[in-house]
Amino acid sequence: MSTESIRIFIADDNCLLLEGLVIMLGEQKDFVVTGTASDSRSAVEQIKDLKPEVALIDIGMPEKDGLEITQILHEDVPDVKVIILGLVDLTDEIMACIEAGAAGYVLKESSFDHLVDTIRSVHRNEAFCSPRMAASLFSRIAELTSEGKSQILADSVKLSGRELDVINLIAEGLSNKEIAKELFIETQTVKNHVHNILDKLQLHSRFETVQYARERKLLKKNP
Amino acid sequence: MPKINVMFSSRPKLLSDVLRNLIERQPDMIIVGEVIDPIELISALRTTPVDVVIITPHKANGMPRLCTQLLNEHLKLRILLITLESTGVYIYQSGSGRKYIEKPSERSILDAIRDTPE
Repeated sequence: MSTESIRIFIADDNCLLLEGLVIMLGEQKDFVVTGTASDSRSAVEQIKDLKPEVALIDIGMPEKDGLEITQILHEDVPDVKVIILGLVDLTDEIMACIEAGAAGYVLKESSFDHLVDTIRSVHRNEAFCSPRMAASLFSRIAELTSEGKSQILADSVKLSGRELDVINLIAEGLSNKEIAKELFIETQTVKNHVHNILDKLQLHSRFETVQYARERKLLKKNP
Repeated sequence: MPKINVMFSSRPKLLSDVLRNLIERQPDMIIVGEVIDPIELISALRTTPVDVVIITPHKANGMPRLCTQLLNEHLKLRILLITLESTGVYIYQSGSGRKYIEKPSERSILDAIRDTPE
């Protein structure tokens, strides 16, 4: 293994694709596949442990999907650059992945060579996407601006993915201890998140936080 | 020893590239063609000798009918139909009915291809 090799982790529940990618990526002189997973729990645990430079995550992973996995990794191991393997060219999905912290998005309809180029670009801290995907992103940004949604976007950007998770669980009526159990983190960490949320939003209670999130449609289950 | 002639029509492209790589690594197999749309297999198989066809359709609709037509025209043909997201593989062959492999791996795909009748 060369010291310059890009360490890659692959998570996909499609065994055939997973096995093939391990071999094909392993044939690249500057790549080394350090681990694989076919379920989301194992993927998160291994990636946190192995800390690869690039993680390829299938959007359709069972239990926690690629988007949720990306949010967790972005919070807990931000140095790991996540590339989502997506099935459809949906602007909303691509935007959601970027907002969750993904560094790249590759359609499975793309060629293997495109995937290789994307891995190298992302590793160099460059964004790499198809002209079609770039067009979708420009269109989405224009839409947000023209509809006056830029303020909503700016508001939500203030909160990290993990903080949004915490707000959603608060809205479900969970205590700090229950939230900690749900997110596999310490109760003190939840308290810190709640403190940061109140501080960022200049609010004074959990109730106000839920109201704020509900008005801005930040809740996954908006009653 | 004659090689096994494989033709495929697979999507998405990334899986197609993986399958091509897998087959090209086998000394006893050769890719004799690839078509974009599975329906093109009907005309392709009329001009090219093929032992095994691998199909990974976007939608399963209409695939069993296509398989029946191909098997009617090519009695020794074996068809591997990989389901969406590769959760399983249906193996069609004249006189053998339909077999199913759950969660296919490279090994099970190669085993299914090598089971081609002489």
